[in-house]
Amino acid sequence: MKRLVSALLVAVCLSMPAAAQRLEPGTNGLPPSVPAMTQTPDLVMDLSQARVSITSAFQGENILLFGMFDPPGEVVVVVQGPPEREIVMRKERFLGLWLNTGRQGFDDVPAYYYIAASQPLQRLLARGIGGEILSLADRMAQVRSVGTREDMDLIRFRQGLVEVKRREGLYPAAIGQVSVQAGRLFRVELPFPSRLPEGTYDVRAYLLRDGKIVAAVSRPLPVGKVGFSARLAGWASREGPFYGIGAIALALLAGWLGGAVVRRL
Amino acid sequence: MEIYLPIAEQSMNVFVLLALGGVAGLLAGMFGVGGGFLATPLLIFVGIPPAVAVASQANQVVANSVSSLQVQWRRGNVDLRMGLVLLLGGILGSSAGVSLFTYLQRIGQIDFVIAVLYVVMLSAIGALMLYESLRTWLKVRRNPSAPRGKLHTHYLVHRLPLKMRFYKSKLYISALLPLGLGVAIGILSAILGVGGGFVLVPAMIYLLGMPTTVVIGTSNFQILFVAANVTFLQAATNGTVDIVLALLLILGGVIGAPIGARLAARLPGVVLRGLMAVLILAVAGQLLVELVRTPASPYSIGLREALP
Repeated sequence: MKRLVSALLVAVCLSMPAAAQRLEPGTNGLPPSVPAMTQTPDLVMDLSQARVSITSAFQGENILLFGMFDPPGEVVVVVQGPPEREIVMRKERFLGLWLNTGRQGFDDVPAYYYIAASQPLQRLLARGIGGEILSLADRMAQVRSVGTREDMDLIRFRQGLVEVKRREGLYPAAIGQVSVQAGRLFRVELPFPSRLPEGTYDVRAYLLRDGKIVAAVSRPLPVGKVGFSARLAGWASREGPFYGIGAIALALLAGWLGGAVVRRL
Repeated sequence: MEIYLPIAEQSMNVFVLLALGGVAGLLAGMFGVGGGFLATPLLIFVGIPPAVAVASQANQVVANSVSSLQVQWRRGNVDLRMGLVLLLGGILGSSAGVSLFTYLQRIGQIDFVIAVLYVVMLSAIGALMLYESLRTWLKVRRNPSAPRGKLHTHYLVHRLPLKMRFYKSKLYISALLPLGLGVAIGILSAILGVGGGFVLVPAMIYLLGMPTTVVIGTSNFQILFVAANVTFLQAATNGTVDIVLALLLILGGVIGAPIGARLAARLPGVVLRGLMAVLILAVAGQLLVELVRTPASPYSIGLREALP
């Protein structure tokens, strides 16, 4: 390969000056389509959007993660929401009615967790990559419980937490599929539900070769309200009392106007 | 068409919310009581977190009561003195109620308490209304020309201290009575997000013995300020008032109210009350089923906290 490129270079340099000039913009005098041997990283990725914007019309969205890797290898993508403390409640039947009787706190619970791979994950992880890349179950095993509780019960609470998160679409389908095209292009849709916690999410892609991580890239993905939603929510959390007064004033105005309009009809 | 509710932090169909507000408005137009007691459980059914449903519904009650208070005030149907005593109790009760709400939310029991209170209240009111309308209907059928009996003959003997004269209501009763009533309605209002008219109005007639002409106006007066207090305190302490949600409910109510009024004019009162009783009982039944039925998953997530 190297020899071929050198030969090409020589050939290009010896050819017509006009052609050489045209090639100048490319790095090292090479046309952009020819990969430079050392400078290009083994793995690059990008997202179809730089951030998840929660607007008034937001109803969840899919973001496309795409990139390129140097074959051979397999790609694994892990997306994590900011770590939170979650309080899991458990209902029990009491006098015929279901009410919350148990509660258990967990620290360092990812607000969102999605893992996708270009090959069945079990096969990849079986080769002993664990530690860095974690399946949802492994990641949840790392979650710290607040206080003490009997082991078996703790496991049930943890499973309950995963169930709830899955129902809310925050821990989507166990393992997603990274699709690979032309042996080196990869893509995967990241599904984000409508009830999405805000914060900076961490998007990571790994390139695996023979069961070892040979390259990894990561980038933050900010998730937040924008525009009207952001202003309103910000106002409500920063200046609760004034927001309350605003809400009352608005209701008074709306009620007054509404009443006047209705009486006209 | 979906809209994202910035405080509830989820998207919801605009027309569903307008329809819910419309149902509340329909009831308001038909019976003169705010429809909050029906709208809040319905909001919870469609998936709005109870805390946000209650707080935003209180905001909707403000709008609802100001438009009817306008009319009542102009007609001179507000007993201001009685209203102020009720209101004093209402402010005390609703302030305590919001604190209680916050506490219940922290220990994770708010959903349960809301559901139980609604089941008890709605089934009691629904059963009473159904019984009353069935009885009237049977009586009318049997003997259409029978004279209508007195609505109430029993006035409670009030031996409590602090007697006060309420000129407009033509009453000389202990101020503790309306004060206590105000406290009770205030607590109810704070926890359930209702105005409380459906409890307040009968209590004013049967318990205090107020003349019916001033009952609606005076209860509207108390409800307006108590709902405003609840909105303010919920926004200030819990941050659960969703203005977008409240505005959609208000808009729906504005559309629903005249339809309700027109329906009320067309249908006989007995049928109307019977229909409403059935509706109330259906909601109570649904809430009861949710309480008794084994849930799909016994687990849920309580209040979220960011890691320190």
